[in-house]
Amino acid sequence: MTYYRMALGAATVLALAIPAKAQDKTLTIAGSGGVVKEITEKVFLPAYEEATGWKTNFVAAESNIMLEVRTMLASGKMLYDAMEVSASNYPIGVKDGLLAKIDYDLLDPNGELPEKAKKEFGVVAAAYSTVLVQRLDKNPEGRKIESWADFWDVETFPGPRSLNRQPQYTLEFALLADGVATDDLYDVLGTEEGLDRAFAKLDEIKDHIPVWWTSGAQSVQLLSDGEVFYSSTYNGRVTKLQESGIPAEIVWNGGALHTSYVGIPKTAPNYEAAHDWIRIRTMRPDLEIEYVKQLPYPNFAPGLFDQMSEDMARNMPTYPENAEVQFVANDEFWAANIDHIRERFDEWLLE
Amino acid sequence: MSVADLSFNQVTKRFGKVVALDKFDLDVAPGEFVTFLGPSGSGKTTALNILAGFAAATEGDVRIGDRSVVNLPPEKRNVGMVFQSYSLFPHLTVFENVAFPLRLRGTRGAALTARVIAALEMVHLGDYAARMPSELSGGQRQRVAFARAVIFDPPVLLMDEPLSALDLKLREQMQLEIKRFHAQIGCTIIFVTHDQGEALTLSDRVAVMRDGQIAQVGSPQEIYDRPNSQYVAEFIGRTNLFRLNAGQGGTWTIDGLGVTMPPVRGANATNTLLSVRPEKIRPVDSDEAGQVSFDARLTQVIFQGDHVQYEAVSSGGSPLYFQDYRGPGTHLMKRGEQIRLGFDPGDAVPVARDVA
Amino acid sequence: MKFRQILWLFLPATLLLVAFIAAPSFDLFRASVFDPDFTTEHFERLINRSVYLDVMWRTIRVSLTVAVLCTLIGYPVAFFINLQPRRRQTLLLFLILIPMWMSILIRTYAWIVILGRDGLVNQMLAMLGLATEPMQMLYTSGAVLAAMVQILLPIQILTCYAAMTEIDFDLIRAARVLGARPRQALARVFLPLSLDGTLTGLVIVFMLSMGFFITPALLGGRQDTMIANLIEFQVQRLNWSFAAALGVVLLVLTVGMIVALRGAGKLLARRVLKGGL
Repeated sequence: MTYYRMALGAATVLALAIPAKAQDKTLTIAGSGGVVKEITEKVFLPAYEEATGWKTNFVAAESNIMLEVRTMLASGKMLYDAMEVSASNYPIGVKDGLLAKIDYDLLDPNGELPEKAKKEFGVVAAAYSTVLVQRLDKNPEGRKIESWADFWDVETFPGPRSLNRQPQYTLEFALLADGVATDDLYDVLGTEEGLDRAFAKLDEIKDHIPVWWTSGAQSVQLLSDGEVFYSSTYNGRVTKLQESGIPAEIVWNGGALHTSYVGIPKTAPNYEAAHDWIRIRTMRPDLEIEYVKQLPYPNFAPGLFDQMSEDMARNMPTYPENAEVQFVANDEFWAANIDHIRERFDEWLLE
Repeated sequence: MSVADLSFNQVTKRFGKVVALDKFDLDVAPGEFVTFLGPSGSGKTTALNILAGFAAATEGDVRIGDRSVVNLPPEKRNVGMVFQSYSLFPHLTVFENVAFPLRLRGTRGAALTARVIAALEMVHLGDYAARMPSELSGGQRQRVAFARAVIFDPPVLLMDEPLSALDLKLREQMQLEIKRFHAQIGCTIIFVTHDQGEALTLSDRVAVMRDGQIAQVGSPQEIYDRPNSQYVAEFIGRTNLFRLNAGQGGTWTIDGLGVTMPPVRGANATNTLLSVRPEKIRPVDSDEAGQVSFDARLTQVIFQGDHVQYEAVSSGGSPLYFQDYRGPGTHLMKRGEQIRLGFDPGDAVPVARDVA
Repeated sequence: MKFRQILWLFLPATLLLVAFIAAPSFDLFRASVFDPDFTTEHFERLINRSVYLDVMWRTIRVSLTVAVLCTLIGYPVAFFINLQPRRRQTLLLFLILIPMWMSILIRTYAWIVILGRDGLVNQMLAMLGLATEPMQMLYTSGAVLAAMVQILLPIQILTCYAAMTEIDFDLIRAARVLGARPRQALARVFLPLSLDGTLTGLVIVFMLSMGFFITPALLGGRQDTMIANLIEFQVQRLNWSFAAALGVVLLVLTVGMIVALRGAGKLLARRVLKGGL
């Protein structure tokens, strides 16, 4: 599937190369496909076009956007003005210098955005969680998974499982299963012993994971097909799974809360206009509520929760009750440590 | 040395509605060299395939020696065979090609080597044992194929147009070698060809095939000198064919020549033609005693060195040709010359006319 | 015409080879040792960590297994087709070609449908009462092997078939009439003469297997990772140089194994030709 996406990505780059020159007042935005694309095209793009008089060109370049940006940078022809930056891509973008700094004087002259929404190279566009999902119909009679420790308990909850083929958050889940408190996660993971401890815990579950997922779509497909009974996945995917009649339930406990961003690639042709787009995308509660109605990935648009019912708020990863039992994914930790941990993780997978 | 007689007994082969061989009967004596001669489609190859075991007879029996072979697979019939395209095994050396039948028969070691070398020496290829077939000339390949076919001392050897792929000079040379090998080995040989010259040169007997049947079988001389039908007369060598008309007093007149000749035994005007070979016709002085003679005009002179071929038209308007072997004292005639020609009535052969 | 005058006729072919083979290969090699300065660390990593050696060895082993299985299945199938009347041969070859019109991706997905926990095989087993629990077939080495053999088999069948049609049928007749039983004619004449084509097919299947990527990625578990998967993985991780080093290794291993297979094939051929069978 990744192969597929890479091919799509390459095709997109080629397709873009042609019209880019003809239209000057067009903002090219790269982002994910699927539902995100649908909503973006319905809600945010028209609002932007109305506010600025510019045209927009939204490119669903889900596969490996950093790979594309890197290629464009190397070729000296940057085709994107703005882009979605996932939680895991943000540290890479920062570390490898693929992103331009956000000019907050330009974006938010009145200082309306809360501090936690503002990163040096991106503005929080959405918050979501990596959570444990269980197939209730596969559980033993009267039992329910309530923690990562239960996920690791193959005696009580037998059956195939899946985890992300990335060390990010997977290692945190292992430590949680091993009894580490959420507040201590990154302190433990930051030490050699802590890392060993996480891998030792992963060793226990290794044989019960027939397949490691490489995309969110794959993780819900595996759950939907019954190929695995329990898996980590993104909370936004679970609604669709439930709607298709699969008795799936989220375990918020021990979930990883991430923020993803909207950013500007270095050498973007329309740097200033990109800020207008970021403002539309992150600071308009009236638009954001439309987005959140479709996808439970809220951002920090000022006054967003005032627009929501209690029921709806309860399904938000940022809903206080949910946020309380989760840990905040630490992108900076991963930015600093990704290389050596990932190398070890990849090699561990091959063992 | 082993040798066997063989016989076809009322053998019929049908492919669907097509009759390839029709009640084929032939007895071959031990050590005899018999040629199946005929154009393609005459049934000669079918007869050979049935004898080799590559095709099953629809009806009839085939015997080699004293046993019926119709139910035996090819490998049990113990016959040697030389193929038209040599069919040497391209992945084996000359030595291994020749050794192939012996290995299958369990011969090993020094005995094997000695026999293979002897066979190769017989065909003058003693130095070529280590070569691959692709490194040999056509004639050499044919000799290897021959050595391979006879090394296991088969009582019967089959040869399927073995010389047709060779050029004329090599073919004539190989014909002589085959005659020599036959004298040396002594086995019964069935030889298939469409080349009448080859058949005459090699065979003890020739079976002229036509439409799945034998048109005539006999020694080369019989076949040539006493053809029993227009078909055989025309297929073997060249000939002049004249129509006959009943004359007075039981004599015959030859159509177009305007001459009368004594009655011929077993012939009648409606179904018989008179065959006179070109070499039997010669210029005569006037009415030489015992000759049938007539006037003619030369229309073509073809000089061939040792002989001259003349084409002529009789005064009665019949085209004919004759040959002159340039004996002592003969001179070359010219086109357009008026001459008198004649032949000995004893050299004229009545043949059954083909039903068109 | 003088040789020097027609030399320019070689130009298009040469340019094509340089542009599409020589230059990318050189670039691949360059990328594997410059990151951005000259370094051998990527190759050292490959050699010093047993996991990578395992993947290389597995890639060779899986490819060899697939090639041998394709040959063991493909040769008899080709032989069978070769025995049929001409018109039926055409039909059978056509049937064998049909799956080759479908993309490898689609054929691989079909295997997911067949081998899944809720797939055809498990449903059938359950229906026949042969299994109470679904068998884990997906994400196993067996699934990868089965799919790769299924995908590559037509190639071997066609190669064997092509080799067999080259064989003059009179050679088989000659062997028979000279004393060989059908089995002997097969072993001493038909088999050796089709050996070269069969080995060619085996090498082609092996070569294609070495670069196989989608099938192990979709049907295999982490224990079925092959070099191509590793390369894709490293590219995803933006580890260009390490991916390039893996690419060089894959190239070298493939070429090396082809040379070795050809050599082994020649030895085998010599043995077979000596009447060893």
